[in-house]
Amino acid sequence: MGMATFINLTVNGLSTGMMIFLLASGLSLIFGLMGVLNFAHGSLFMLGGYTGVVVFAHSGSFILALVSAMLVGVSVGWVVERLTVRRVYGNAIAQILITTGVMIVLNELVKAVFGPDIIATPVPPLLAGSWAIGSVILIKYRLFTLAVGLVVAVTVHLLLTKTRLGMVVRAGVENPEMVQALGINIRQVFSLVFAFGAALAALGGVMMAPAVGAVNPDMGLQNQMLAFIVVVIGGMGSFLGSALGSILVGLAGAYTAWFLPEASLAVNVLLMAVVLLLRPNGLFGMGGE
Amino acid sequence: MARFLRKPDSSEVRLPGAEDAGDYKEGPARTESPARTEPPAGTAAPHGRAKVPGLGRPGREVLLWVSGLPVLVVLILAVLPLLTSSYALFNLMDQILILGVFAMSYDILLGYTGIVSFGHVLFFGTGAYTVAIILKHTGPGLGFLLLAVFGTVLISLVISLVIGYLSLRVKDVYYAMITLAFAELFAIIAEKWRGATNGADGFSFRIPHFLEDPILFYYFILVFAVLTVILVRRFIHSPTGRVLLSIRENEKRAEFLGYNVIRFKLISTLVAGVVAGLAGIAWALQQAFVSTGVMATDKTIDALLITTIGGSGTLYGAFIGSGLTNFASDRLSSLAEHYPLLQRWHLIFGLLYILIVLFFPGGILGFFRGKRAGKGARGYRTGLQKGQR
Amino acid sequence: MILELRQVKTNINQFRILEDITFAVPEGQVTVILGRNGAGKTTTLRSIMGLAPPARGQILLDGKALEGLPPHVIARKGVGFVPEDQAVFSALTVGENLRLAMRRRDKAAEARLAFVLDVFPDLKEKLTRKGGGLSGGQKQMLAIGRALVQDNRVLLVDEPSKGLAPIMVEKLAEALRLIRAQTTVVLVEQNFALASAVGGRYVIIDDGRTVREGVLSELEQDRELLRRYLGISTGQRGRAG
Repeated sequence: MGMATFINLTVNGLSTGMMIFLLASGLSLIFGLMGVLNFAHGSLFMLGGYTGVVVFAHSGSFILALVSAMLVGVSVGWVVERLTVRRVYGNAIAQILITTGVMIVLNELVKAVFGPDIIATPVPPLLAGSWAIGSVILIKYRLFTLAVGLVVAVTVHLLLTKTRLGMVVRAGVENPEMVQALGINIRQVFSLVFAFGAALAALGGVMMAPAVGAVNPDMGLQNQMLAFIVVVIGGMGSFLGSALGSILVGLAGAYTAWFLPEASLAVNVLLMAVVLLLRPNGLFGMGGE
Repeated sequence: MARFLRKPDSSEVRLPGAEDAGDYKEGPARTESPARTEPPAGTAAPHGRAKVPGLGRPGREVLLWVSGLPVLVVLILAVLPLLTSSYALFNLMDQILILGVFAMSYDILLGYTGIVSFGHVLFFGTGAYTVAIILKHTGPGLGFLLLAVFGTVLISLVISLVIGYLSLRVKDVYYAMITLAFAELFAIIAEKWRGATNGADGFSFRIPHFLEDPILFYYFILVFAVLTVILVRRFIHSPTGRVLLSIRENEKRAEFLGYNVIRFKLISTLVAGVVAGLAGIAWALQQAFVSTGVMATDKTIDALLITTIGGSGTLYGAFIGSGLTNFASDRLSSLAEHYPLLQRWHLIFGLLYILIVLFFPGGILGFFRGKRAGKGARGYRTGLQKGQR
Repeated sequence: MILELRQVKTNINQFRILEDITFAVPEGQVTVILGRNGAGKTTTLRSIMGLAPPARGQILLDGKALEGLPPHVIARKGVGFVPEDQAVFSALTVGENLRLAMRRRDKAAEARLAFVLDVFPDLKEKLTRKGGGLSGGQKQMLAIGRALVQDNRVLLVDEPSKGLAPIMVEKLAEALRLIRAQTTVVLVEQNFALASAVGGRYVIIDDGRTVREGVLSELEQDRELLRRYLGISTGQRGRAG
């Protein structure tokens, strides 16, 4: 494997990692803060992708597609939280069951409206193509996703560390009871975090679509699997953990795919198994036994 | 005398919500008795003979159900071939029964032990592939069929042990994800190992001659279903099964009573896995064909839907749910030509499922048994007891 | 009486923990809740705070009902909570822990913050230290300081001396004496010496029921009562400062 290929793979891996990160960070925060494992998170990712397709087809503006995907994510996330998730806080089994139900319903709705087949999503012209630096080829879109991922990561980090809301979230991940005892209505914070996580997931979906070239109703579940692995590796509730975990998973997948394409998921599952055995809380997790 | 086994500490109750206060509005009776029959702290845990509160009397219940509705249903099913000779109907009944057994095996985990697994289809698929591969390479003899059954049971045991060992020591949510990951892994193997499975195209094989007659096959499946139900019921009502119920109700309390929770969950996984594998065998025989469809996570989700809608924790609910969904999808398929939305009957079932989880966790069977009182979304109690943190 | 509990029954996870809790807390003093391990003292505090909502009974703050309200509402009505494990947020700094507790950043709140930092100079030094890096005694100070920053009418404190070295227990007693001048304190304490050093009235809880209440100084004379309900024998009195 030459240097050029290596750089290529690294950029690809990082960029995939970034998109998984958008999905995983929301999942991790939602679980860390509320103890809710959102099995519908992948569906929000998928909704983002489809929204992007529709908006881009009608407006030709990728920016608009990104923004509307996030808006859809926020709205659907908000509604889901209020109608279903809110009723089952503190009840792990019921949460898994309910969010699975939401996932089924959302997936079926999309299949009903758009049909079960894939819809092609080419890269928007402005971001298409690549730069060649010597023998290294850098795909523009991949760099774009990297950039967006970094911006999101930094923004969320600042939100978490520099704002009062962020302080409440960080405290709530550790001990939501005590936050309540201090007079803060943590349920409102839950709704906000859930909706925000949903927006991030949707953004991930709309970013991922041009990268793989298509959207399909199952893209949610497939990527959610990877996001789960990231969350396990990085630790529930840890933003930093999900960032590092995403990078790890993205790179592992990319490098493995070069040698043995079939094994990329297997490698990541193996990683997850190893982490679970050695450090059940993940590398940075705080919730847990 | 200690009124409870340990002082509740603040970390155990995560978020008090309406559910905590609400539970106890149903009157003192429900909460008084457990406190009274609680053995004093410090009692050594008797093995399997501790009185686990809140389970009711097994004897009476078994009698009631053995002599009641299910027997009637089996009788009706047994005489069905005398009433009709529609092969399509037998096909449908076969599927209902086989998937009912599969869902019942899922119910052992979900309804009786309180575990949510997203990997259950891997046992089903393994059973299907085992019998298919063996029969393809050896020929459709009865002896080979028995070999396949034996092999499936063995493989299921091994897989359950391995996966169980890796996944059961972690919390619910991790368990759900790990089992999903394993199932996906198996699905990928099934697709990529073309030499054995022929990938997504699948392959057909010849089944033992005596099973080729649809009516005989129907009876074969009926007997299979009845036998598995009887066996699973005996398991559920055995001392081991009772412990599983107590784990579902309150895992921490079961631990304090001295039960090795992980070992019991493992037993539950073994039994559920083996039954699912057998269902897989039946499925493969019915289709005389296997493909990656038998390893698809969709089937686990179907089992979840079926069990929950029919009524989790009831065993029979699995068959009700299976009957409903298979019958509906069969009928709706023809209607769907006129009304495209009905093609997505999964959507309707998904919505029904959500409603049931929220408001009628007893499912259809639970609704008719009048079990609604005292449940609600908190019917799934394990989450609260385990203490998320 | 600033705080009253009437026939409070509380269940946790199908266990009946509180059977019948009835007592009243006068304003401006420290009322000590005494009792054996597992008697229900912590649950009583948690019931007041709304973290373990009562199944039956009433809890009144200034005559107004608290039971059934969500914890954050109860907190805003002026009830502060210092739990047994201090619940200091280890990922937040000392300063952040304190600021989280402040509901409004007005002059009064800043003044209270300054007061807290005066009372606990250790905290002042460690403002940027993460909560997880504090010693047991410092965590306790922080937990109490957090509650003080809030201008509470009633402060519920659960076994603050647990695990503290005798010197820290002294400091704790001092702090409590300072606090009681401004805020009514309901203190759960197994350390009877500390309790009698700061307490005015007492309530004894046994097996989920209130057994006795009265003036604390009178209790010290009643060896029989002490032995029966608190497991304190003559030899144990006067230990640890």
